[in-house]
Formats: sequence, C-alpha cells, structure tokens
Amino acid sequence: MIEEPYRWLEAIANRREYIGDRLKSGTPVFALARPEGILLLGVGQGQSKVFEIYDRHAFAALGHPVDIEKIRQAAIEAAHLEGFARSPRDVTLRRLISFSLSSTLKNAFEQIFAPPLIVEALFAELGDSPALDSLVRVHYDGDHHYETSGVLVAHNEPQPEAEARDWIRSVLQPSDSLMHAAGVCLVAWQALTGKTPLAGLSVPRKPGLQVSGKVVEAALLDRQAPGPVHYRALDLK
Amino acid sequence: MTGDFLALLERSPFVPVSGVGAGPTPVQATTVFAFHCAEGVVIAGDHRATAGNIIFSDRTEKILELDSHSLLAIAGVPATAFEMARTLQTAFEFYRRSQLQPMTLPAKLRALSKLLRDNLPATLQGVGAVAPIFAGVESRQPEAKPMIYFYDPLGAQFEAAAFAGSGSGSGAIKSVLHYLENWGKPRPAELPLAEAVVLANRLLITAAEFDSATGGVHPEAQEFATIKLLSPRGTRTITHEEQGRFWKDSHRD
Repeated sequence: MIEEPYRWLEAIANRREYIGDRLKSGTPVFALARPEGILLLGVGQGQSKVFEIYDRHAFAALGHPVDIEKIRQAAIEAAHLEGFARSPRDVTLRRLISFSLSSTLKNAFEQIFAPPLIVEALFAELGDSPALDSLVRVHYDGDHHYETSGVLVAHNEPQPEAEARDWIRSVLQPSDSLMHAAGVCLVAWQALTGKTPLAGLSVPRKPGLQVSGKVVEAALLDRQAPGPVHYRALDLK
Repeated sequence: MTGDFLALLERSPFVPVSGVGAGPTPVQATTVFAFHCAEGVVIAGDHRATAGNIIFSDRTEKILELDSHSLLAIAGVPATAFEMARTLQTAFEFYRRSQLQPMTLPAKLRALSKLLRDNLPATLQGVGAVAPIFAGVESRQPEAKPMIYFYDPLGAQFEAAAFAGSGSGSGAIKSVLHYLENWGKPRPAELPLAEAVVLANRLLITAAEFDSATGGVHPEAQEFATIKLLSPRGTRTITHEEQGRFWKDSHRD
C-alpha cells in the first residue's frame, strides 16, 4: 500500500480523522509565563495532566493516558541523559523537541501500520525572566511552534484554542496574582469544554479555583526556587 | 519503565563509574563527619584535597546535596566520589520524576552501596577508593528522623547511632565525639544548631592539628567548613556568613 502515493495520503488523512476523533473527549491545558515563573494548569484526575520533566522543564498534555505517559517518559529520559552527559543548563527545550520528541511523534504518526500517539501537548522551559521563558506547542504529528506571547493553550480544536489564548492574553495583566491567573485559565477551561464563546466573556473579580468532580492540577516552574529544581505543584484549595 | 537511571545508562554510551588502570598518585579528600544535633543531622567537611604530600586544593566541597532530603559526604578519591554523587543526584531525580514519587531512603542507600560495589576494581587497584557518609530522611514522612549511615569502600553500609566520620582526619574527630556523646554536658545530640555548627568547626581545626591532609578551615580569616543541616523538612546549607555569626557569638566572652 505504501508504494501507492494516493493510498498513503488517504491513510494519513484517515489517521488524522481517527486521532481527531479520539482527542474530542480531551480537555485543554494551559501554560502562562508570569513574573513568578511559568504556571501550568490542567483539569484531570490527580497526576494525569501536568508533569515535571527536568530542573526547569515541565509538560502538560491532553490525549490518551498511555500515549501521554510515553511522551513524558521519552522527554524525561532524554533530558536526564543530556543533563548527566553534559550539564543541567545544556538541557534546552529547543534541542529536546527538535532532536528527540518531534521526530518520535512524526515517525509514530507516519508509520501507518502502527498505532498513532494520541497526544496534544505543550512544553515549558523556565528562563531567567518571563521574556526568556520558552513555551512550545507540540502536535501529535510532530509539528510544533514556539509561542512568544507568554500564553499557550493546547486543545483538541485549533480555532477555539487560538481564541482562548488571545482571550487570556487580553484579560491578564503582569500585576495579577498567580491565583488570579489560575482562575482565568479555569474560566477559559469551562468555556472551551462547554463550547461557550470566549469573546466578551468577563472574568469575576475572584475567579473560582475548583471544578466540581474534577482535580485541578496546577504547577509552577518557580523563578525564585532556592535550589536547582524549579518545579513545584500548586495547591489551589 | 522502572525509573532506574543506571539501567538507562547501560543502554547509552555513557559509563558513570568504572575501574581504571594504576597511574599517578590519586588526589584524595579527607575528613568529613556527621552527628545528630537538636535540629537534625549536622554534616560537615574540610576543604583540603591532597595528592601524596602535595596540597592539591584547599577549596574542595565535600558535602554534596543529592536531593532535597539526602546528603553525601565524600572521603577518598574525589574523581570517583564526585562522579558517584552526580550519578546518584541524577538517579534520584530521574526516579522521582519518572515514577511520580520520591525514592525511599532504603532504596537510596542501596543505590550508593551498588555504586561502591561496582567501583571494586578501582578500589582494589588503590586508585579509586571512596568511603562516604550518607545522611538521609524519608521525604514522605513529616515526622521521620534524619539518619546517618557510613560505608566501607566495598559498599557495606552501617547505621551510625550518634555520629560517623570518614577520611584521614576522622580518627581525632570520632574520639572527641565519642567523649562528648558519653560524658558531654550537653551531648552533641542536644546542641542547638548554632552550637553544633561551632562544634563542627572546632572539630575540623582539631583534626587539622594532627592530620596534614585536613585543612582549609580558618575562622579568623572567615574561612569556615562546609556544613549542611538535614532536618525532617529537608536539607539546608549553613552559609559562611551564618557560621561567622555563630562563631563570633560563641567567642564573645
């Protein structure tokens, strides 16, 4: 079959359709570069959405839990081998994504006789200031882009994802507290999962930090952490 | 996926620790010790590294943080010891991140023991022997008591009831600590942190008096030992500024 270009393209298109269908039940995850550090947030069942990768690196994703786990382990292994062989400062998101994860995802997607990885992800790397933070959106087919606006959303549909990103950027100020930023993400999460338009949506003065029946998973890559490990889970209760 | 970083290393081209052929006189580092105080475990070391009768460095850091709840004091050949520490640092963090839970204290002890045993060829050749002290506390038990362990160069592990010492200058220090533990008033385990830190510096000065391979601690020149505290909350470095303040307060009269 792969000798026939048309059949191959058709198989790839079917694969996109299949992955899109499987991602429909996924809920969005967020990453925000803030003065305190990089805030990551998702809504799941405990430790299922937001993860530590390395000293200054974190990852959040939606998709099939097994595939999220595969990508998480691959990222952790690559980062630790690099940090051990060279130094922790040599572990950079650009190299991690470009040379390790992106090609893994692309290969998995294009090998049409093997099951695909059903993952939409974002990665974050803490810099010395918000301007030096790196946020990368990584898609299931290995395609990725660097976000420079300081706000990144990963969702199962591109249009609402872009709208949510723009809306969060428009309503958040650098002076807003971390908890307020988390609350804004949750307002966007409710809107995206409820398919409510974000345009014109106002943010309560004190947005809620809980979602009934779910666990809000939040973490901060803390710019002020005293040691080498910057990741810490945030308790929003 | 076991969270075993050493197994991962075996699949990669990097070899963390291995025996080497006989060569020039190895650099050695000396005199580290740990004892219980009122706030946890104080672990301290001098700054001197020697190669035979040559002082190689007076600025060596021998107390290394493996993670937020464990410390390693190295005595022996720094090349091997630093590599062991780096391997353990990566292995502990790799396990915690990949398995989403911290490694238990017994597992950390086993990991160090395994590295020492794997280093047996170098130890037997006399070029890579390391006899470390490990201080750790269970991170998932807020009321857990910090523990001190010491190892022989072949990897055997022993729990220290009150104190442990390693390196060429440790004999004098262990003698003093034994005396204080039995007849001291207060005993070292009852000392508040400030007094324990002063005691640690005095012990290293005493060791340096009788052991040329111990040195680099000169309070009059604001040069203090490397001292870290391990409490149930985790590790903390006692800075030279803090040590200077404690020293000044204790010598005021």
